[in-house]
Amino acid sequence: MDNAEKIIEMIREKEMKPKARWRFTIKDSLSWAAFIIAVLFGALAFSVILFAIQQSDFSLIAHLSHSIFELMLGLIPLIWIIFLVVFLVIAIFSIKNSRKGYKFTSLSLAGFCTALSILLGTLFFISGGARWLENTFATKVRQYESIEEKKTKVWTIPEDGYLSGIILSVGDTTFKMEDFNGKSWTVEFSEADIVPSISIVDGEKIKMTGNMTSGDTFKADKILPWGGFQHRYHGGRDK
Amino acid sequence: MIITLESCKDIPDNELVRLSLENLDYFSCLYQRYEPEIIRYIQRISGIDPDESQDILQESFIKIWRNLNEYDASLKLSSWIYRVVHNETISYIRKKKSYGKDNTSNIELFKNIIMEEPESFEAYEDKINNTLGIIDHIPFKFKEVLVLKFLEKKSYEEISDILRIPKGTVAIRINRAKKLFREMTEGIIS
Repeated sequence: MDNAEKIIEMIREKEMKPKARWRFTIKDSLSWAAFIIAVLFGALAFSVILFAIQQSDFSLIAHLSHSIFELMLGLIPLIWIIFLVVFLVIAIFSIKNSRKGYKFTSLSLAGFCTALSILLGTLFFISGGARWLENTFATKVRQYESIEEKKTKVWTIPEDGYLSGIILSVGDTTFKMEDFNGKSWTVEFSEADIVPSISIVDGEKIKMTGNMTSGDTFKADKILPWGGFQHRYHGGRDK
Repeated sequence: MIITLESCKDIPDNELVRLSLENLDYFSCLYQRYEPEIIRYIQRISGIDPDESQDILQESFIKIWRNLNEYDASLKLSSWIYRVVHNETISYIRKKKSYGKDNTSNIELFKNIIMEEPESFEAYEDKINNTLGIIDHIPFKFKEVLVLKFLEKKSYEEISDILRIPKGTVAIRINRAKKLFREMTEGIIS
C-alpha cells in the first residue's frame, strides 16, 4: 500500500470529514466585525479627545501658580487616549487575523485604522455626539471625573486667582455671581479685560482670572466664556 | 479506489479540490501530486530524516483534508499546501526542540546564494561539507525565506502567501538573510 492509499484509508477509517465552509466564513466575518466595532469605538474615543481639547484652557499653563504637571493631568483626557490606543490595537489585530490581513504591514494598518478613527471621530464630534457621550459616561460611571468636573476644579481656586460660575445680577462696576460650588461672590470688573464674545448679563457662565480681595469678593483681570474655544456655552453636564 | 496520478494529471488544482470534496478518492491525486516536493521542502527547512518527514507530511495532509473548505481559490493551491506543511513542520520542531542534522539544504543554499559560478562549487565541496554546520545557526525566520526563494524557487507573492507576511517584509527578510548568510559563510570560501 503506498502513502496515498494509506492516508485515504486512514481518513475513511476515522470517518474524518472536512469542516463546513460556513465555519471559515463565520471566523473571517468575526474578524471583520471586530475590526469595524473597534474602529467605531476608537472613533468615539477620538471624538471625546477632541471635545476635551476644545474645552481645555491651555493658556492657563503659562501663568498658573500650581505645577504644570498637575495641570496637564487635569487637562489631558488620559482615559480616552488609552481607550483610543486599545481599540486601535484591537482593530489592527482583528484585520491581521482576517483571511487576507497578512498582506498588509502592521504600520500601514495602524495608519489606516488611525485615519479612519480620526475621520469618523471628527464627524461624530462635529455632530455634537462627543459632548453627549462624555456626559453619559460621566453620569453612568461613578469613578469617572468628567471634563466639566476637572475644568470646574481647575477654575475654582480663588486664592490662586481663578474663579468661575454663573452671573446672578449685574451692577455698574460689580456683579454678583455664584461659583460652581454654590458660594456667592461679588466681582469687581471695572478694570477687567472682557473677551468680546461674552456679555456680562444674568445667567452667563463665565470664568476669570484676578485676585481674591476678601472671603467673598474678587477683582477680575480677565473674563472669559465658560466654554473653551466656543463663543458661548449654554449646555454642559446636567447635575 | 485510489485514483492514480496518471489519470488526474490534466485536472487543474482547483478542480481537484472540488472533486476531492465530492469524492475522497480524488484527494489521493492531490497527495501524489505534491508528495515529492513537500517531502523535500520539509527536509530542507528542518533537516530531519525522511521517515520523520513522511510523518509530518501525513499529519499535514490530514489537516489539509479537514480544512479543505478553507482553501481560497484566489491563492495558488501549492501556496496553501506549503503554508499548512510549514506550520506543521514548525510545530514538530518546537515539540522536538531541535533541528535535524541533514546539511543538504545548507549546501544547496550555499551553491545558490554564494557561488557566482555554480560549476566552481565542486572545487570547494569538501571544505563546505566540513564547515556547513555553522549555517544551522542562522535564525529560522531567515533560513525559511532563503529555502523558499532559492531552493523552492517561489516568487515573493507565493512566499508572502505561505508565511502569511506582507510582500515587503519578504523582500526585507531575503535581503537581510542573504547578507547574514554571506557573513556566516565568508570564512568557507576565503
